[in-house]
Amino acid sequence: MPLPIAPILGILADNIKQRGSVLPISKKASTGWAKGLNLPKGGDTVIYTGQMYQLIPAIDAMSKQMAMFEESPITKLFGLGRFANKIINLSFFMSLMASKDMKVENNRILKNITGLLKKTGVEFGYLYEDDMYSGALIYDEGLDEIFVPHAKKVFEKLKKNGVKKIITVDPHTTNMMRDIYPKVVPGYDIEVQSYMEVLAEKAPEVLKQCNKELVIHDSCVYARYENMVDQPRELLKNAGIDIKLPELSGKSTHCCGGPIEALFPKKAHEIAGNRIEQLSEEGKDIVTMCPICLVNLRKAAKGKDCQLKDISDTLADAYL
Amino acid sequence: MAQKRKIGVYVCHCGGNISDYVNVEEVVEGVKNEPGVEVAKTHMFSCSDAAQQLMIDEIKEKKLDGVVVASCSPKLHMFTFRGMSERAGLNPYQYVQVNLREQCSWAHTNDKIGATEKGINLVRAGIAKCVLSHSLTAIRIETKPSALVIGAGISGMRAAVSLADMGLAVHIIEKEEEAGGWALKTALMGPEAQNGPDIAAKLIERIKQHDNIMLYTGAELTEKNGNIGDFNVKVRIKDGSEVEINIGAIIVTTGFDTYVPQEGEYGWGMDGVVELKDFRKMLNDGKVERNGKPVKDVVFIYCVGSRQKQTETCENPNSYCSRYCCTATTFTAKTLHALEEKTGQNVNQYHLYRDIRTYGKMETVYEEARNGGALFLRWDPENPPVVSEEDGRLLVKVQDELDGNDEIEIGADMVVLSTGMRPRDNEALDSILKIPVSKDGFLSEIHIKLRPVETVIDGVFIAGAAQSPKTLAESVASSLAAVAKTGGLLKKGYVDLEPLIAKVYEDKCTWCDECLKACPYGAIEKTVCGDKEIAMVIDALCKGEGACVPVCPHDAIDIEGYRDDQIVAMIDASIKDYSKAESA
Amino acid sequence: MSKVSSELAAKLKQSTEFNAEACYHCGTCTALCPMGYEVLPRKLFREAMLGLEEKVKARIPEIYQCLLCRMCEENCPQDVHIAENVRYLRNLINKEEMNLIK
Repeated sequence: MPLPIAPILGILADNIKQRGSVLPISKKASTGWAKGLNLPKGGDTVIYTGQMYQLIPAIDAMSKQMAMFEESPITKLFGLGRFANKIINLSFFMSLMASKDMKVENNRILKNITGLLKKTGVEFGYLYEDDMYSGALIYDEGLDEIFVPHAKKVFEKLKKNGVKKIITVDPHTTNMMRDIYPKVVPGYDIEVQSYMEVLAEKAPEVLKQCNKELVIHDSCVYARYENMVDQPRELLKNAGIDIKLPELSGKSTHCCGGPIEALFPKKAHEIAGNRIEQLSEEGKDIVTMCPICLVNLRKAAKGKDCQLKDISDTLADAYL
Repeated sequence: MAQKRKIGVYVCHCGGNISDYVNVEEVVEGVKNEPGVEVAKTHMFSCSDAAQQLMIDEIKEKKLDGVVVASCSPKLHMFTFRGMSERAGLNPYQYVQVNLREQCSWAHTNDKIGATEKGINLVRAGIAKCVLSHSLTAIRIETKPSALVIGAGISGMRAAVSLADMGLAVHIIEKEEEAGGWALKTALMGPEAQNGPDIAAKLIERIKQHDNIMLYTGAELTEKNGNIGDFNVKVRIKDGSEVEINIGAIIVTTGFDTYVPQEGEYGWGMDGVVELKDFRKMLNDGKVERNGKPVKDVVFIYCVGSRQKQTETCENPNSYCSRYCCTATTFTAKTLHALEEKTGQNVNQYHLYRDIRTYGKMETVYEEARNGGALFLRWDPENPPVVSEEDGRLLVKVQDELDGNDEIEIGADMVVLSTGMRPRDNEALDSILKIPVSKDGFLSEIHIKLRPVETVIDGVFIAGAAQSPKTLAESVASSLAAVAKTGGLLKKGYVDLEPLIAKVYEDKCTWCDECLKACPYGAIEKTVCGDKEIAMVIDALCKGEGACVPVCPHDAIDIEGYRDDQIVAMIDASIKDYSKAESA
Repeated sequence: MSKVSSELAAKLKQSTEFNAEACYHCGTCTALCPMGYEVLPRKLFREAMLGLEEKVKARIPEIYQCLLCRMCEENCPQDVHIAENVRYLRNLINKEEMNLIK
């Protein structure tokens, strides 16, 4: 029996409404990465994580358990689960089982991105607990009526902190805040740039030539929604990387399966497996630029002769 | 033979096309001693300006009275060499072309000796024909500066106005009580929402104001006599009397009829099943209702009465596409969208089509229809849509080819049949005019591409949907083409016709009327010559086609240029024994 | 046999977000879909536009399985905004079938 769509979407919707995120995590989990970086709170320009990297370990933990339920009679009880989740933050407890390694890695990625941005000389702050989830997942699932009030709340927080421009770190938040918010939030006037766009524009000095081969897995959202294909290539090329591209890349990149992870874990895994096969034909070291791609492809790559890393790790090696 | 002929024979190499297989020098040798031959030689390219000039000089210098060029097909260069002969002062009908390329060298590339032998025989036959040729003059006919237009639809009226603007007198006759044709009954028309009645009214106004145009409504053609440039017709007018009109040319713009479905065809006869034209009327009045209630779901069925296949229920299928219906129906979809916007009445449109043929600029109409929300479902002629009635509503079942042939059931308030065109049932008129009718019932042109408005009857032109299904724009284009042909004919003042036509030997003819019965053009008349009745050929009507010749029991009729004596001489010359001729 | 629901057809027709009228069923989208479903997305849209409610309901798993990766959209010769259409259908189902939005 497949996972029941309605109760799961219901849980996501309830979480956003009641707790401001699809999967509420602790303050430490969401802002802990910035500890010791001395980023000022708020300001004209801020780095905006949309909690994407921070949420991944929790989502991963939850979906692992969900995948166990898929095809099991327990799915019948999901309706009950939604009811319970309204009273106690059920999904939060599930997220407590998140992998520690993954948390460490994602915090490192955000630190690296901060370091890279600092090197360009751009001045920016961070919103800490006001750096809210963009609502990408509920928007994609067509829960517009719940998404729109949430988006308005996010915009209010940005205004409250005097933000004029945000620098995003992942494709989904970039797309939501750049293309979707202006359509649904009246008066929305925030300028949005992805950190790779900022880096490509400022072209900071390369400290260490890497001289190795890397396979790029383009993000669907960056490539096709945001038309961002050249920037990661430029940054890697300058760092001495020999870029390998699978047949399906750039504007024709192949999905990692991640978007349906919550509802159809098995199918998502299958898609990720297909993609890993295409990527590993080109080389062993693969870079991603989206936290969802990273976690999904990595699961599919388990036991295969290839490694996946976020692009920011490589950039940090070369530029920092 | 009255006197010895002086004939020039020129055998062409055609650059090798002929001489690679036919030994042209041997041909010259083989024919130079034929009776009447004054000079025989070869040219590399007879059609070249230089060779033509050499021949002209020779004709003049040697005072030749006949020329034979043995080269390619007369289809290619007969008129070239007729012109050359004329420039040399020779009557063009004393020129004979022998086809040594298509009918000899190209046909016998594997047998050079045989090809050469045949070449000699062909040229000998040509010489024999030339010996018996005499000078002929083209038949010149003075044309009357006036024209008759039959049918006062848009095509006819547009033609009348243009002819009148050229300074020609125009008589335009219309069977109906009112001029205007179908445009008068069609409201807004695609692709750009032109108003039919407005277009018709403007043309009627121009016709009424034009001094050169005479419009007869409620009128019919009853008789046609005469020939190109000079026809006499009789027209029965409204009050029952007949008027006689003398004109130089006729344009037939009798238009089309709409297809009327058979009882039960796509639900025809059920309440709520209507023809497109009636639906458009409804739409034009701004009320899309059935039994007083606004229509919510409407199904359009395309290709009704067009592109039919023969079946038990359809014995004489209309195999043609009616051309206008796709545009008219998609345009109706657009008009319906506009009504929705204006009145807020929501109408779901389901268009059941076979192929959409909104060709050329009309494609955007289809696009706009789709973008406005009209849905298009494609059906296969093997599985046509079925219309039935259920609880006062119409139910249409269709297998949608675009959705894997799944059967889809659409509940509809109205079903609109996009009916095609069919030819006018004008048997009486067709037989008066003698214009051939094509297999599908529309009037036939001479050549669908190159002579689209001319008919086999000289001086009678066809235009508009009388010739084949057409949109209004296409009809007007063809009517103006007919105007150009008519104007070209009548403004010149005369027309020269080919003199290679039938002639009657008065002494042999006894008037048995066999030739009259054989002639498809009505070019034979009985006349009195001295004390006996004989046949007479109406020069302007005869096409020299020769059906009369073999049926004559007394060999009293011949075709100029192909007279019996010429044919016999050609046969004799071509079967002469080659070796004997050689030794002689 | 599928029955046309004139209400659903009217709803989709009036929607400014759902737009698949330009689709001429070339099938490029289906050929490129990483999910490999025969139905996605051209047939789905057609069924929705025609108001074939029962068929659309039977496609609910497929509707939520779409990755919104836009591989199809990038290559659509008619510029149908496929991902947005899928999202629109989800929204419709969330509201009318799953009662998720109150």
